[in-house]
Amino acid sequence: MNREDLRYLFFTIPAIVYIGVFAFYPAFDAVFLSFIGSDGQFTLNNYKELFYFNIYGTIIDTIIVTIGALLIQLLLGLGVASILAREFRGKSFFSTLSIVPMGVATVVSAIAFSFIFQTAGGYANTFLTMLKIHPVNWYANSYISLLVVMIADSWKNTPIVALILLAGMMSIPKDLYYAASLDGAGPVRRFFYVTLPNLKSYIAIALIIRGVSEFNIFALPLVLIGFHPLILTTLAYELYSTTTIYLSSAAAVILLAFISVLIVLNIKLGGRR
Amino acid sequence: MSKIVYVGFAIFTIYFLFPLYILLLVAFSPAKYTIESLYPPPIFKQFTLNNLIFAFTQYNFLQPFIKSLIVATLVGIIALLVGIPAGYGLSRLPAKIAYPVLVLLLITNMVPGIVVAIPISAEFIKLHLFDTPIGLALVQELITLPLATFIMQGTFSAIPKEIEYQARIDGASALSYIANILVPTALPGIIAAFLISWMFSWDEFTYAVILSPIHPTLPVEIYINITRGNELAAVAFSLVFTIPVIILTVILQKYLKGEYLTGGIKA
Repeated sequence: MNREDLRYLFFTIPAIVYIGVFAFYPAFDAVFLSFIGSDGQFTLNNYKELFYFNIYGTIIDTIIVTIGALLIQLLLGLGVASILAREFRGKSFFSTLSIVPMGVATVVSAIAFSFIFQTAGGYANTFLTMLKIHPVNWYANSYISLLVVMIADSWKNTPIVALILLAGMMSIPKDLYYAASLDGAGPVRRFFYVTLPNLKSYIAIALIIRGVSEFNIFALPLVLIGFHPLILTTLAYELYSTTTIYLSSAAAVILLAFISVLIVLNIKLGGRR
Repeated sequence: MSKIVYVGFAIFTIYFLFPLYILLLVAFSPAKYTIESLYPPPIFKQFTLNNLIFAFTQYNFLQPFIKSLIVATLVGIIALLVGIPAGYGLSRLPAKIAYPVLVLLLITNMVPGIVVAIPISAEFIKLHLFDTPIGLALVQELITLPLATFIMQGTFSAIPKEIEYQARIDGASALSYIANILVPTALPGIIAAFLISWMFSWDEFTYAVILSPIHPTLPVEIYINITRGNELAAVAFSLVFTIPVIILTVILQKYLKGEYLTGGIKA
């Protein structure tokens, strides 16, 4: 590193110090607090106590939400991106429209979906009865509740996935499509044999970026399903507001452990790119 | 072929607009046609402004609204104060050095809000920053600083280095170059970074609910109204809350691209 580089690096120091103070220090603090008992001594009791709060079920529910929401977003994101990758009349309208959910606050989208998925008086059930299908109790069991969360979350986040995938689609050379159509491949086969394989790394980025956010999903389930069933963030928040900071830190650290795995994966993938 | 595109176009248009339509429907219809009916009709039966009037006169809107405004503006200002130098430094550093710094910023964006917020709430109580706008802004900055820095870096990279050499030959100091040449030239990117930071803070919930629960910001106030069963107040506030952000989103469309959202790292 020469003197010039050092000079430029100097400009980035405030930002680095900032995230050190407000991100890394609290993260280490949380780990530290999670091993402290109410008497101020080192203990593993906080983690043992988490079993009373069904920590296994909470972890599994968090994973279910993450995987389910990712699948929905990937599917819809591919659809939106495939449309945006073409030229057609009304394209600029559609691309503006497809970004609108990003501007809707999580709490607001949660409220809109809570009106849609209301057991008595929800719009989803209105449509089901119109189609002569039996109305559904959307909070009958934890799987249906989690499905509601996945659908609501996917509405807000499909645009982000679509934008990432669109960036990928635009990077695929047009020649590949010409060659494929000359060989007689129709649109469906071109999608599976040209688009998807070339999109692999972008799909990986989208999955990891979104996967981390899905694990952190908080406001949406809090508004839509409250604390039933619990996921890792709502468990940590419930413990924070009802018990000790030590116990809630233990729940937060378990969440951090899962996120850390995803972060390492991300950096590994990033290094390969 | 184009038929499939238009079918998709139509389906996704309905999909993207439907929840917003429901919000408008609930906000502007009498309650008997919406939240009080077993299977509410999915069309407007009757139009009313009473829900909105009732919400804004009977429930506390102004204080949370002002708090949200103050916090979001602070977040935007801090983003520029820290993000402009960082973006400038990164845009001039070789990739070998810039890349690890970018990864560091990217990691910060991934640390769960709740993990950061719980210990910070304890520290803030000691420092008398708990429930204050500046305390909340400092922590919300974590979400927007990486994004703001990437936008600045991208904007500054587009400005040729030769201009900087020229300025230096003419005797300008680094600070004078940044203030008089770099910032004015890069103004559109800087404004975008400010507005995006503002927008993310305006929407932010996790830090706000933990670090500012007594005098809440607007999203937290909306949540509080929902838990108390004041659904119509929540809908009314949601509308006022959402409209400026949708407008900003559309204006800032070109900055909300895949490469910024993935953390500036190109595949």
